Amino acid sequence: MTSYLIKRVLSGLFTIWLTTIAVTLLIHLVPGDPVQIMYAQSQSTTPEQLEQVRHNLGLDRPIYEQYFIYMSRVLRGDFGTTIRGNQPILSLLLVRLPNTLLLAISSLFITMLVGVTAGFIAAYKRGTWLDAGLMTGAIVGISIPSFWLGLVLIYVFSVQLGWFPVSGTNLRNLFLPALTLGLANAASVSRLTRSSMIEVLSQDYIRTARAKGLAEKFVLMRHALRNSLINVVNMLGLQFTYMMGGAIVVENVFAWNGVGRFAIQSILQRDYPTIQGFILIFAIVVVGVSIVLDVLYAWIDPRINYDS
Amino acid sequence: MIAAAFSACGGSEQSASNNPGTLVWARYGDADSLDPHRTTTTLSWQIFDQLYDTLLAFNDKGEVVPNLAKSWDVSKDGREITFALNSGVTCHDGTPFDANDVKYTADRAIDNKNPSVTKGAWGSIELVQVVNPQTVKFRFKQPFGAFVSFMADPFASILCDSNKDLGTQFGVTKAIGTGPWKLVSWTKGSEIVLEKNPNYKKFGRPVENPGAPYVDRLVVRQIPEAQARLAGLQTGEVQLIVNPPLDDLDAVRNDSNLKLHVAENTGQNFFFEFTTSRPPFNDIRARQAVAYAVDVDRAIQTAFGPDLVQREKCPISRGVAGNDQAFCDRFTYKPDPNKAKQLLAQMGYSASKPMEVILMTSTGDNREKMVQVFQSQLAQVGINAKLETMDIGTLNARVKQENEKKSGVGTFDMMDWAWFDPDILHQLWHSPGAYSGYQTPKLDALLAKTRTTIDPTQRKQAVNQVMEYLLKNAVHIPLYTPGSLWVYATRNSVQGFKIGTFNRPVFNDVKLQ
Repeated sequence: MTSYLIKRVLSGLFTIWLTTIAVTLLIHLVPGDPVQIMYAQSQSTTPEQLEQVRHNLGLDRPIYEQYFIYMSRVLRGDFGTTIRGNQPILSLLLVRLPNTLLLAISSLFITMLVGVTAGFIAAYKRGTWLDAGLMTGAIVGISIPSFWLGLVLIYVFSVQLGWFPVSGTNLRNLFLPALTLGLANAASVSRLTRSSMIEVLSQDYIRTARAKGLAEKFVLMRHALRNSLINVVNMLGLQFTYMMGGAIVVENVFAWNGVGRFAIQSILQRDYPTIQGFILIFAIVVVGVSIVLDVLYAWIDPRINYDS
Repeated sequence: MIAAAFSACGGSEQSASNNPGTLVWARYGDADSLDPHRTTTTLSWQIFDQLYDTLLAFNDKGEVVPNLAKSWDVSKDGREITFALNSGVTCHDGTPFDANDVKYTADRAIDNKNPSVTKGAWGSIELVQVVNPQTVKFRFKQPFGAFVSFMADPFASILCDSNKDLGTQFGVTKAIGTGPWKLVSWTKGSEIVLEKNPNYKKFGRPVENPGAPYVDRLVVRQIPEAQARLAGLQTGEVQLIVNPPLDDLDAVRNDSNLKLHVAENTGQNFFFEFTTSRPPFNDIRARQAVAYAVDVDRAIQTAFGPDLVQREKCPISRGVAGNDQAFCDRFTYKPDPNKAKQLLAQMGYSASKPMEVILMTSTGDNREKMVQVFQSQLAQVGINAKLETMDIGTLNARVKQENEKKSGVGTFDMMDWAWFDPDILHQLWHSPGAYSGYQTPKLDALLAKTRTTIDPTQRKQAVNQVMEYLLKNAVHIPLYTPGSLWVYATRNSVQGFKIGTFNRPVFNDVKLQ
């Protein structure tokens, strides 16, 4: 277990390290002069000022030096300041990060609740119209862009029914974005749950349990569901990554004040230092949470021996 | 207990929206800073404009009028400008406004260590002198014709000198000005809350209300998605939005609860410019052929319909002092496909050998539709234009890159710029120019004159000479204004909302019913 943990952390650190290189190169991938792009049509900014920005960002140095300068700053917790507004980037990101995490975790909860329930019922009622209906619904769910689903939910629940506000970042506003993001991912979870349930239901121990005369409810909940959930739990880390990615779109639709929406505004304003900071923080969170979930999985499922 | 917690949670927002004294304005993004020296985005300066005042102001015609300064005087050599300030104005923190605040602001903007991002617009200031508390004098190394109008722009907002004690909090949690609204709080990424300045006195702002705004609070909220903004307006959660979805404008027009406001005289302009460092557009005939080939009025009708944008014939846009449609019309190439074909034939092009070029533009509103119409008009005279659309930042870099290349397919672009003064032409075309584009010593000399001439009548003549030169040489072909659309929608309960010249929403006259 310990060596598994060490391996997992090391591979996570490697991923983050690769991200830091990508982030440094990012600014050079754009065609033309990045400072000119960032200050596009910022009339009356003098050439000397632009030269100063170039210098401050280290763009006048060889690229490996730029990398070391950037990394030494990042390791000291200095992500630089925004191009527009001159505000410290790290604090702008950290103040919004809890909102994104709250949205992602709430969505994950909805995903699990809806996905597992639907998959369970579909597997149990395999071959019936209910199964067909639920799985068709899942395909529709996978296909619907969350952007569009969000707008439909706003139209129904806010404009027509008046139950929820259209925008804002507080508990009352959490439901619609979490539902949007949760439903989009529930579809794939329900299909996974269904297939693992079907697989588990055909196992010998289920037949044995039934043969013993155990109540069907007990067989399903205690033996079948618990065992099929192992596959689902295994996907939690991946699901969380999807949630974080999806949050970027959903935050924008619902004006949820998270890092994703902040990133979109920075991208539209071509604020490269902020985009760099966002990618780095995002990678750290995703890698960190994935490690925690993987370790939890290993801990929960005693059949898995990672040391061998 | 849970119910209580929930109602407490949403309660503040709910009561804010329902309070008749609060106007909620939803925009697509947040301000970057409330320090006018740190950013140039519209989202930011539209807030500066509420918090601070300027020495001078623009009236509805875009003319400069007195504001915090009751008068100004320019010395004969144009190197000294003296402002006499109104008395009895107080800053938001209660300290009196005087010449020291003006000096503090200007010194801060041109400070070498950390100058304003619009330092260039302040000109070559040598000294700012407090003559007495009600008089302040600016001395310049060279005369600078655009300075007077800059004093009416939000980038030249006057900061009270008590801000200097705020350190890094200035522009973030606090901002002390003399404007009609005071900063209460700024929750980054969420909302900016302003309350009315009860001591506000109107001098030059284009409003009727002589004193403090009628509405108690102005809450500026962010809803990035246009459809969601419109939904918020329909539910009454917000009372004013900027840029509803363009495809849904009819829904707004037809909704008896809502009203549409289209900003005019925004100073923004869309125009064609050409890569003149190589063929074919280094030849004036190629540029003229494009100008004769396009029918701008028809393109506007097709892409935007009747009332969203206006035909613009001058290189400086409607709203900017010196814009003169009749004058510019004299040098405008009228649609004439036959002339275009003749010019192309002279250059050796024909139906079997069309002119191959690239037409670039930026993403946004209906401008892609616009260039598609141009593409088909150009095809009719034998110009094959390949369309390339990119974001505005990339377009800026690309145009400069193209101008620096000596070979390759000819390119031209539909570009969008905005400024409040004819000095825009100097920024664009005086060498080295914003894009290293078309440059001649003659044009440089004409442009230099627009900067060194201070007398308004003489300066207008100098600007006219530049416009004539640019139009005749088909260097800068004006198309339409405003460049980027600025459309606002209000609920009917909002009375007295106004968009001043240069897309400056003003709330002094707003009453909620």
